[in-house]
Amino acid sequence: MAIVEFKHVTRIYKNGDYEQRALDGVNMSLEEGKFVVILGPSGAGKSTLLNMLGGLDSPTDGTIVVDGKDISTLTNNELADYRATTVGFVFQFYNLIPTLTVQENVALVKDISPDALDAEQILAEVGLAGHLKKFPSELSGGEQQRVSIARALAKNPRILLCDEPTGALDSETGVMVLKVLLSMARNRGKTIVIVTHNQNIAKMADVVIQVKNGKIKSYEEQPNPMKADEVEW
Amino acid sequence: MLWRKLIRTAARYKAQFLSMILMAAIGTGIFLGFQIEWKSIEENTAAFFESTNYADFRLYSDTGFSKEEIRAVQKIAGVTAATRFLSVNVHIEGTKKTVALMVPEDYTVSTMHICEGAEYEKNSDGFWLSDQFAEKNGYAVGDELDLTYRGSKISGKIVGLVKSGEMMICTGDENQLMPDFTSFGFVYSSPKKLEAMMGTVFYPQIHVLSGMKKNEMETAVKEALGRTILVTEKKDHTAWAGAQSEIEEGRTMGAVLPVLFLSIGVLTMITTMHRIAANEKTQIGTLKALGFRDRRILWHYTSYGFVIGLFGCALGVTLGYGIAAIIISPGGMMSTYFDLPEWALVMPEFCVPVIVVTIVLFTWICFLSVKKMLKGTAADVLRPYEPKAVKKSIFERLPLWNRLKFGTKWNFRDIMRHKARSAMTLIGVIGCMVLLIGGLGLKDTLDGFMRVLGEEISNYTTKVNLTEQIKNSEALAMADSLGGDWSASCGVSLNGKTVMLEVYHAGNGLVRFVDENNDRMELTDEGVYLCQRLKDSAQIGDTIEFSPYGSDKTYTVRVAGYLRSVLSETIVMTDAYAEHAGIAYQIASVYTDTKAEEIPDSELISGKQEKETIMDTYDSFMDIMNVMVLMFVAGAIVLGIVVLYNLGVMSYVERSRELATLKVLGFRDSCIGKLLVSQNIWLTVLGVLIGLPAGVGVLQLLLKTLADEYELKLYLGVRTYAVSLLVTFGVSVAVSRMVARKNKKIDMVEALKNTE
Repeated sequence: MAIVEFKHVTRIYKNGDYEQRALDGVNMSLEEGKFVVILGPSGAGKSTLLNMLGGLDSPTDGTIVVDGKDISTLTNNELADYRATTVGFVFQFYNLIPTLTVQENVALVKDISPDALDAEQILAEVGLAGHLKKFPSELSGGEQQRVSIARALAKNPRILLCDEPTGALDSETGVMVLKVLLSMARNRGKTIVIVTHNQNIAKMADVVIQVKNGKIKSYEEQPNPMKADEVEW
Repeated sequence: MLWRKLIRTAARYKAQFLSMILMAAIGTGIFLGFQIEWKSIEENTAAFFESTNYADFRLYSDTGFSKEEIRAVQKIAGVTAATRFLSVNVHIEGTKKTVALMVPEDYTVSTMHICEGAEYEKNSDGFWLSDQFAEKNGYAVGDELDLTYRGSKISGKIVGLVKSGEMMICTGDENQLMPDFTSFGFVYSSPKKLEAMMGTVFYPQIHVLSGMKKNEMETAVKEALGRTILVTEKKDHTAWAGAQSEIEEGRTMGAVLPVLFLSIGVLTMITTMHRIAANEKTQIGTLKALGFRDRRILWHYTSYGFVIGLFGCALGVTLGYGIAAIIISPGGMMSTYFDLPEWALVMPEFCVPVIVVTIVLFTWICFLSVKKMLKGTAADVLRPYEPKAVKKSIFERLPLWNRLKFGTKWNFRDIMRHKARSAMTLIGVIGCMVLLIGGLGLKDTLDGFMRVLGEEISNYTTKVNLTEQIKNSEALAMADSLGGDWSASCGVSLNGKTVMLEVYHAGNGLVRFVDENNDRMELTDEGVYLCQRLKDSAQIGDTIEFSPYGSDKTYTVRVAGYLRSVLSETIVMTDAYAEHAGIAYQIASVYTDTKAEEIPDSELISGKQEKETIMDTYDSFMDIMNVMVLMFVAGAIVLGIVVLYNLGVMSYVERSRELATLKVLGFRDSCIGKLLVSQNIWLTVLGVLIGLPAGVGVLQLLLKTLADEYELKLYLGVRTYAVSLLVTFGVSVAVSRMVARKNKKIDMVEALKNTE
C-alpha cells in the first residue's frame, strides 16, 4: 500500500526575474516499510523533494498525499502537527539543540507528539545508553547523528526522512548509522527515505529513485538489497 | 570596494548598527545635555552677576545704616565698593500685585541690566521696571506706575525695562519657591526720587563688593561700626545660592545618568560588535584567503566602530544641544526660575576629549572584536565561529532540575551560555526601571512635599507680612483682631553658619509642624526644634549656642526635638520658650483665616499673601518637574526598546538554527514564540528585582543633592510602582513579541543548510 503519493508536483523558486524549476511535474508513490534511496547530482531537486514530503516546503503545483491526506494544502499549524506526528527528519549536520543534553534532545518531542516513545529506550537502541547526560558537543559526529535519528524516531513517525545522513561521517561511522536506519525499516516497519549523492548506499535500498533536473529519471525496485556492512564505501 | 561592503554590512545588520548608533547618541546626548546645562548656568549667571555688580556681602541692620556708617564701610581696606541699599516689597496701587522696590544709594553695587529705555540716572524721577513683570502685566516704557509704600503713594513714569542680578530669582519671600511675574516683580528707583516722596530714605542694608573672607569682613565691619552686624555672603543670597545649587545639581545628575547611558552604550557596542564579528568570521576568512593582509582587514572592520562612533556622537552632540536648549533658552525650563539676559549654550571644555575618547573606545572595541576573529591561519578563520560549549551549572544538581520542562532548561542554559548578552538585557531592564522609579518617584516626593506644605503646615487662608518698623504690641493686637497665629524670624549664627531662628505662636493651629516622617507634631515649650539639615549638630537634650546678627548676645538653648522645615535651614521655638530663654524677637508675620481682601490696608502691613497664591507659585516648579519626569519616562522607554530589541534580534539570529530545528520537529510558531518571550520575561523579572531598589537608591542620591535647598521626604506611591512595573514589563513583552514574530518567517530549509 502506498503511503506517499506525489501527483504532478512542481516547485518553482523565484528570485527577482529568475525562475528556478526545482521540481517539474513529479509523479511517484512509495510503499510503507520500504527503505528508499533518492539519488541525483547537486541541484537535481532531491532535497526539494524531501522537504516537500517533510512538510518543510509546499508545492507550487500538484498534490502530495501522505497516508491518505493531502499535505499540500495544509496551514502552518497543520503542517507543524503533521511534522510532529507523521514524519521524522535526520539532517547531514545533525541539528541538535546544543544547550540540551542527549536525553533532553530526544525527550523534548514529548511536548508535541502524542505517541512519543521513551527517550532512554530509543537511545539504548541506537547504542547511546551511556551518553544520556552528555551535551552534543561532547559527542563524536556519528554519535550526534545517532542522537538525531533517535530524536526523529522518538516521535514514532510513519516515515523517516534523511538528508545526506552520512555526508559528514567517515565510512565506519556511516555504516553504523545506516545499520540503525535499516533496522528501523526492517524491525519497526518505518518507511525510510534517504537523499544522498552516495551511489553505494543505494545498494541497500528496496527502491532507488534517480532524480535529474527536477524530474524522476528512473524508479527501480531491488528485490535483494545488500546489508549495511556489505556495502563498500 | 570595501567601503561598499561596509554600507551593505550596515544594511544587513541594520537593527544592530542602528541600536549601536542610537545608544552612542543617547549616551553622549544625555552626557552633553547635562554638562552644557550646568556649564551654561555657570557662565551665563557669572557674566550676569559680574555685569550687574552682584554684591559679595550684604550687611543688615534693623535700625538702618547712617551716612557715617556707609563711609566707614567704604573705607575698609579690601572693600572695592559699597552702597547703602533698600529693598522692600511694595504694592502696585489698585492691584494685588507686589514689586520689590530696590534703591541703591550709589549705583556701584547691585546694579541693573538695561533691556530697553533709559540708562540709570541718579537724579531720575522714573522707575526701571522688571521687563518680565512688564511683559506679563502689560506695562511699557512711558507708562505711569503708582506704588504704595507705608501708606504713601509713590508715582512715576517707567523709564526703562531691566533685569537685575540681585533679582535673578525673583521671589517675594522665603515662602515663594518659584518666580511668578504675574504677581511679583521688582522695580529700581533713584534715591533722589524716594527722598522727594518720603522725605528721607531708610537703608537697612549695605551691599559690598570685596574679595575678603566672611570672617575678615565681619571683624572689619565690627571694628568700623562698633557693633555686630549680620553679614551674609553672596552664597547665602537667593540668586547666587540658587545658581550654585542648580550648577551642583546639574553636575551630580551629569555624573549619574550619563554614566549609566554611556556604560550601556559601550556594553551594547561590545556585545553587538562581538556578534557581528562572529557572524562575519567566514567573510573575514575569505578576505584573508584572498590575500588581504590582516592589517587591511582589521582597518576595514575597525572602520565600522569608527563610523558608528562618529555618527552616534554627531547625533549625540545634536541631541545634547537639543536637551540643553529645552532647559537653557529664553523660553526654556530654566527661564521660569532664572531671569537672565543671555541664554548662551556653553559646553565644558572637557566634553570634547570625552567625545573623542568615546569614538576611540567604540573603534577600539571593534578592533579587538575583529582581531580575536583574525587569529590563526586563513583556514582557521574560514571556519565559522563556535560559541562556547555548554557546561552544566550547579543548579542542575538540584533535584528540581529534572522536573523542569525542556523549554525552561533550554532558556536557562542559553542565558548561562551567552552571559554577556543576558547581562546586557538585564542592564537594559535595570536602567529602564531605575529611570522610571527615579522619575516617577521624584514626582511622588514633590507631590508629597506640596501636600505637606499646603495641607499640613499651612493651615491658614492669608499670611500678613508686617513692616520692619512695627512694634510687637501692635503686631499682637493685629493677630488678636484677626484671630491669627504669628511668627518672628531673624538670622542667627550657629557654629559660624547662618541659619534662621523662627519663633512661633501657633495656638490657633493655623501654622502647624511636621516631624521627619511628615506626621503632625506639637511644639513644646521645653526647648528649640532643629530642622533635618541641622539634625547632626545636636542630640535631643543637648544645648546649642547661637547669636543673632545685629546683637552681641549669645543664647544657650536646649534641643527639644527635630522637625521638617519646608525651605529655610532653621531653628524653631515657641514664643513661650523664647521668653523663657530671654530671646528678643520682632513679629514679622500673622497667619489668619480671614481673606486678604477683608483685611484692611495699614501702614503696618507690607503685604498680604493668600495661601492659594503662594501655592500657585509652585505650579511652574511642578511644571518643570513634570517635563523632567516625562523625559525620564521617555528615556526609560527608548532605552528599554533599543537595548532589548537589539539583544532580542541578536538572540534570535544566534538561535535561528535551533528554532528552525524545533519547527522541523513539529513545534508550532506560537509555542516557539512563547519560549523566546519567556526568556526575556525571566530576565525582566530579575532586572526589576534589581532595578527597583537601585531606582530607590538613585532617587535618594537625587534627593541628597537637593537636600541643601529642601528637606524632602522620599515618597513612592503605589501608582509609581504599578506604572514602573507595567512600562518595564510592557516594553519587554512588546519587544519580545516583536522579535518572536520573526520566527514565523524563519526558512527551515535555509536555516538548516549550513554547517554548525
